[in-house]
Amino acid sequence: MKILTKNTVTVALSALLLGAGVTSCDTDKLDPIPETSFSDQVVFNTPARIALQVNNLYAYVKSGSFLGGRYQIYSDVRADDFINRTSNAVTALQVWNHTLTETSSNDVISVWGAAYSAINQINVFLAGLEANTAKYVAPAFSADFATTTAVQYQAEARFLRALSYYSLLQLYARPYADGNGDKPGLPLRLQAETGAGGNDLARSTVAEVYTQILADLDFAEQNLPLTYASAVLNTTRAHRNTAIALKTRVYLTMGQYANVVTAANKIVPAAAPFTASSGVANTLNSSIVTVFASPQETTESILSFPFTAQNTPGTQNQLGFYYLPTSNPGGPTGGGEFYLNAEGIIANTTALSATDVRRTSFVITSGGNSYLAKYSGGTPYIDKAPVIRYPEVMLSLSEALFRTNGPTDARALALLNAVRTRSKGTAYDTFASTDDAVNAVLLERRIEFLGEGIRNIDIQRLNASIPGKGSIGAVAPSNPNYVWPIPATELQTNTLITRN
Amino acid sequence: MRKTLLLFLLTVLVLTSHNLLAQVRNITGKVVGSDGSVLPGVTVVVKGGGQGTSTDSEGSYSLSVPANVNTLVYSFIGYDSKEVAIGGQSTINVTLAANTTGLDEVVVVGYGTQLRRELTGSVATISGADVAQRPVQSFEQAMQGKAPGVNITTPNGVLNNPPVVRIRGVNSISLSSSPLYVIDGIPTYSGDNSATNAPNNPLSNINPNDIESIEILKDAAAAAIYGSRAAGGVILVTTKRGKKGQSKVSLDSWAGWTKPFRLYDVLGAEDYMMIKNEAVRNLNANRVAVGAVGNNVEGFRPSYDADGGLVDTKWYDYIYRTGFSTSNSVNFSGGTEKTSFYASVGYTNQKGMLENNDFKRTSARVNVDHKVYKTFTVGARIGYSNNYNSAPNSGSLSGSAFGTAGLGRLPLVLPPNIPAYNADGSPATNGAGVGAGANVNPAAPASALAPGYYNPVVDLNYNYFTSESNQIQGSVYANWEVLKGLNVRTTYGIDNIGFEDKLFYTALAGDGFSTGGNATNYYRTNKRWSWQNTAQYDRSFGDHSVSLLVGGEQQQTDIQRWGAQRTQIADDFFNTYQGNFTNIAAAGNSQGFNYLVSYFGRLSYDFSKKYLLSFNARRDGYSAWGNEKWGNFYGGGLGYIVSEENFWKNSGLENAVSFLKFTGSYGEVGNSQGVGDFTTLSTYGSGLYGVNATLGYNNAGNRDLTWETSKKLDVGFSFGLLQDKLQGDFSYYRNTIDGLILAVPLSPSKGVPNNSIDANIGSMRNQGIEFNLKANIFQKQDFSWVVSGNFTTQRNEVLGLVTEGQRIGTATSGLETVNYTRVGGSVGEILAVPSLGVNPANGQRMVSILNADGTSRTTVQYNHLGGGWTTLDGQAARTPNQLTDGEYYGPVIPTWYGGIDNSLRFKQFDLNFFIQYSGGNYIYNGTKAGLHDQRFWNNNVDILDRWTPENTGGTWPRVVYGDNVSNGSALVISENVEKGDFARLRNVTLGYSLNPTLSSRVGIANARVYVQVQNAALITKYSGIDPEISTNGASNTGAGVDRNSVGQARTYTVGFNIGF
Repeated sequence: MKILTKNTVTVALSALLLGAGVTSCDTDKLDPIPETSFSDQVVFNTPARIALQVNNLYAYVKSGSFLGGRYQIYSDVRADDFINRTSNAVTALQVWNHTLTETSSNDVISVWGAAYSAINQINVFLAGLEANTAKYVAPAFSADFATTTAVQYQAEARFLRALSYYSLLQLYARPYADGNGDKPGLPLRLQAETGAGGNDLARSTVAEVYTQILADLDFAEQNLPLTYASAVLNTTRAHRNTAIALKTRVYLTMGQYANVVTAANKIVPAAAPFTASSGVANTLNSSIVTVFASPQETTESILSFPFTAQNTPGTQNQLGFYYLPTSNPGGPTGGGEFYLNAEGIIANTTALSATDVRRTSFVITSGGNSYLAKYSGGTPYIDKAPVIRYPEVMLSLSEALFRTNGPTDARALALLNAVRTRSKGTAYDTFASTDDAVNAVLLERRIEFLGEGIRNIDIQRLNASIPGKGSIGAVAPSNPNYVWPIPATELQTNTLITRN
Repeated sequence: MRKTLLLFLLTVLVLTSHNLLAQVRNITGKVVGSDGSVLPGVTVVVKGGGQGTSTDSEGSYSLSVPANVNTLVYSFIGYDSKEVAIGGQSTINVTLAANTTGLDEVVVVGYGTQLRRELTGSVATISGADVAQRPVQSFEQAMQGKAPGVNITTPNGVLNNPPVVRIRGVNSISLSSSPLYVIDGIPTYSGDNSATNAPNNPLSNINPNDIESIEILKDAAAAAIYGSRAAGGVILVTTKRGKKGQSKVSLDSWAGWTKPFRLYDVLGAEDYMMIKNEAVRNLNANRVAVGAVGNNVEGFRPSYDADGGLVDTKWYDYIYRTGFSTSNSVNFSGGTEKTSFYASVGYTNQKGMLENNDFKRTSARVNVDHKVYKTFTVGARIGYSNNYNSAPNSGSLSGSAFGTAGLGRLPLVLPPNIPAYNADGSPATNGAGVGAGANVNPAAPASALAPGYYNPVVDLNYNYFTSESNQIQGSVYANWEVLKGLNVRTTYGIDNIGFEDKLFYTALAGDGFSTGGNATNYYRTNKRWSWQNTAQYDRSFGDHSVSLLVGGEQQQTDIQRWGAQRTQIADDFFNTYQGNFTNIAAAGNSQGFNYLVSYFGRLSYDFSKKYLLSFNARRDGYSAWGNEKWGNFYGGGLGYIVSEENFWKNSGLENAVSFLKFTGSYGEVGNSQGVGDFTTLSTYGSGLYGVNATLGYNNAGNRDLTWETSKKLDVGFSFGLLQDKLQGDFSYYRNTIDGLILAVPLSPSKGVPNNSIDANIGSMRNQGIEFNLKANIFQKQDFSWVVSGNFTTQRNEVLGLVTEGQRIGTATSGLETVNYTRVGGSVGEILAVPSLGVNPANGQRMVSILNADGTSRTTVQYNHLGGGWTTLDGQAARTPNQLTDGEYYGPVIPTWYGGIDNSLRFKQFDLNFFIQYSGGNYIYNGTKAGLHDQRFWNNNVDILDRWTPENTGGTWPRVVYGDNVSNGSALVISENVEKGDFARLRNVTLGYSLNPTLSSRVGIANARVYVQVQNAALITKYSGIDPEISTNGASNTGAGVDRNSVGQARTYTVGFNIGF
């Protein structure tokens, strides 16, 4: 009996022990919440979080693979002003020598991926902003959040979407000039994508994509703030003049010169001094050296993308790293990935004279080669990545005026000379023909924007050949390499996509 | 510890003082083996418990037993136990029969043990002795080839790099295919946990000398008790315990020398300049032929040292060395009726063949079991270990194949005609890269050559990468035998590791150049606790034996890592994180948490030891999954031991076939290993836009994501022939994995984070046979010879992916995609454009491309910058494309493999040689592509047999400067695909044991000295450095790629062990 009791007790105790061990599990632990990321359910709950999301859209567009560096580099090195020094396929060798394929990962695949990631961030944000309007009420939100702040955010988002689509078009689609935009453009993604399904989307035509770009820019122009509170915000976030400036580039690329004039007139006065009369006082700074000196926040910079030591462009993405030489006693060094082609623009001592500031300040020599020192910050390479500067609007306007009014247009000449002479270039007097005038503007753009990612745009919008350099031959518009291939990753997943 | 020793000594005293007691008999005798040799250390105990002793070095024993004792039991590892009735005898000499089958060995299974004879599941055992004293860092490196169904690959020769372990094939695509490692019942961590170039495999924290046995659970009947973690198999490691009545002190030491093996022959300076300048001349000819200017410069020029001698740098000399290693372990163990213990300390300091590649481990272990009351036992298994890993940038770890700093790659690409050091003794550099010497960039206009690669002496002299960990792994348990046969047990275990990872890059040159110097520190903690409660009931009635286990378990794992990177060094004086730098940025931060709660059970039943049945089941809830957190898993097995039947025994068959058992099992287990802790959630992450914070959509979660299911079938038999002189087992296995988690690719234009979303969508099958055989060929007192071998076949077939016709590419280090996984193929087959060799007419590389009709093919040839791709009759052709024109070469995982172990003993000498073999797989030898690249890169000496007008039969195309297509760098071609079959003399050991008579005279129980060669020889047709290389590490779908990794070393060791 005693033994039996003891056994009963022990069995009960042991059962209890076992039971306690097994059932004391904490079911909350089966639903852990990450400490470093947010649930998608809470990100529109406060105005601060929504503001952070707007910053995020810019951060995506300025990805090192996109407009934070590589896009600008690729646009320049395709042409003939730079020579590849390191033969490194990771750092644009194949962009330079026109041997890109559908599977080239650091350029063809990654630019596409980075740009569309940015576009989807924008689309997801726009959809979320719309879907969460019920939350935009006091006291958490200010009374005018829905009517003012949210609309401004929409405008910024749509501006960035326009910029992204425009930039993609320049690499992956035939120029608008080739058939007035009737060639295949891009898959026009305007829906928020957050899950499976919807892989297939055919390419809209080039013209259709431009139509969307202009629609976004119109909305942006109407709803963006006129100015921000600080110089850094005025150069790193879109304001009304930013949208107008980009419009001039878009119209110029489409060859719609009258529209260039209309748009540019909103921010470029009829005569010097060339300063925008409303919004941010964007202007032609007296010194291009100042414009590119840290922190690159003069009113000449309409939009640039900022970096800090904590927020770098990423390895092998930095403009300064590509163009600065590896050896530069007393000065900043880089990777020396590309040096200036001795037979390129620097060979033109007439247009770019020996005393031109853009030569004396931005061209340095090292090991027998000339290098571009426009981005002179050195490591950690946090010079802002330029997107659009005021002189570009001036020169676009100048070109458009020449093209519409002929070589004698005085305002066009004044605009061209303003940009030219501020860097000690010799002023032009007259032009014999429209072609001469336009060519002078194009040459000036090549000099002024060297290393800023404009060159490819200026070649392709005219459907001109990409000039050759060294052992690399020229690429005629008829050559399949004239535009980049659609990436293999897209071809594999999107059954409606077509090859270039 | 001192207390335990004292306790132990006291116990010994008590035991030996028994003779003084009255009413006892003294029994003496000698125990010998069936071959007549004396057996020291045989346990002699009184049946039913109580007194016991063990035989001395002469095999003699003396034991006092109470008058009422009738029977003595003699037992010894490796021999059948024997019971002898005392009767009136006072001298009992016993002969024990060697138990060659191991059938009566106890096998550790999940949450318990079983007799091998009674197993219905597939469990392989590797004894601790097989992994001890090998010049390895972690025990699983020494398991290669030792067990059927277990394929282990050493991906490179960097110390403490985790080997790739695959049990019965690749069992997942995007999750982990690695087995679950369980140390003394507590699941532990595996894989490289380091954030630097110095890999750190936590399993190296276990001193292999502490391991008693390793059990590998392969099929569902064996592994299903581990439910959702069992798909890749389970490896149970059991550490040593003290044995009752045996007091032992053992010292094991070895010292070794490690050298590189099979390095490539690359061109010397003169040949290099000759080939490269010839390539420039050919380039100019090509340019002129297409009407362009041929003005490239023959820029490969000799450099001279201070004495006027031609610089001819052997880069290998700066990178490789003969590393010297030592290892010392001391352990002592013993046991009394109430307490047994095992304690050890160990220290090993190993230097690899690569400069700066070091591994050190200091370990200590205490295992104690103590009987508090007759029915209540407590115990602890506690291991502490510190390991320190240091490695240069070997370029051999997964993801680093194409680095310009990798030491595997640098000696292959760097020009030999440039010096490593300048005349003033500083490293020859130009910017981040190596200096150009006298070489000039052939591109006009001429300027210095710009080899983008780094000077390795900068990395070796200034930079460092380390990972140091401290681990406490252990558990305490209490076991209560509530009723006879009913045991309840609770075990609480912890497994905590802290990793301190450090790296430093000098600003002088190399990777630190562009950041102006860089010091980064990371600290990572892995914290885990596990609480297991089980009740087990064992009962026999009549011919029926039943064993029932039920239990529950919880496991919580918390992983955190934080770190920061400092850049722009203030002064070259600094080389630590604490020094002064201008910038600091957060680096490597991560946070993880997961929780597993489980209920499980096992029923084993046998009738008359002939008919066996077992059933395991487990229900797991896991925090990482979304809507379906719970999964049920099971496995059942049946066995039939025919040889136990009377008809068998009576028929005389037993003489030929002494043991024959048939088994079969089936079950479903799961896989959650490697799934991200929060992957099913849709989340937003925060970052920076300049100085401002951001918040953006960063993970597309799928709340329906849940376990992968592996359906495992196993049928087989095991046998013993000729009195078990020959014994073995055979099985057929088939794993069908359903609900494979695959990253469903989304169109990049959708812009969803990662361009994919995970879903349970794929399926795959592995099947094959395993065969294991052990033969006692000769067994006499002075000479014995035992051969054992195993053979496994393995066929993997992908049955379903996301869409029909989908092929999943797996990129090597993000740059080159060689492996493609598709339905109907094996995982990760190589897709390469068929190469047709060199056109003898013009020296151009010929490949075959697919015509527009999709079936017929055309041969095209490539002439770099001289017309590009043309057909053989000179018409322009399209550029070949891997995806369009490629053909599959596969599989990339071995289809057969195994090992052969020979143990010979002659008197006091023993000789063991172990051969590991493997084959049936293809390797993409990307290193070979690099070795024939016609940029400035150096080439393999076989490039001398290139095509020239005089040598139209050359095996390599006409060299054209800048050509990276003809060799396969820019286009994956079948020229660089090779078979991977090999046989390796993995280990040869020759030992000498001191004669027991002699050793007892000097007061030691046993002593042995040995010499050993690890990786003694390799037979293979593979032209690369090592057919085992896996540049993509443990990637499921990226196996079989050899890209710039360092090979395996050869190690010579001498060692001894002494027992007291």
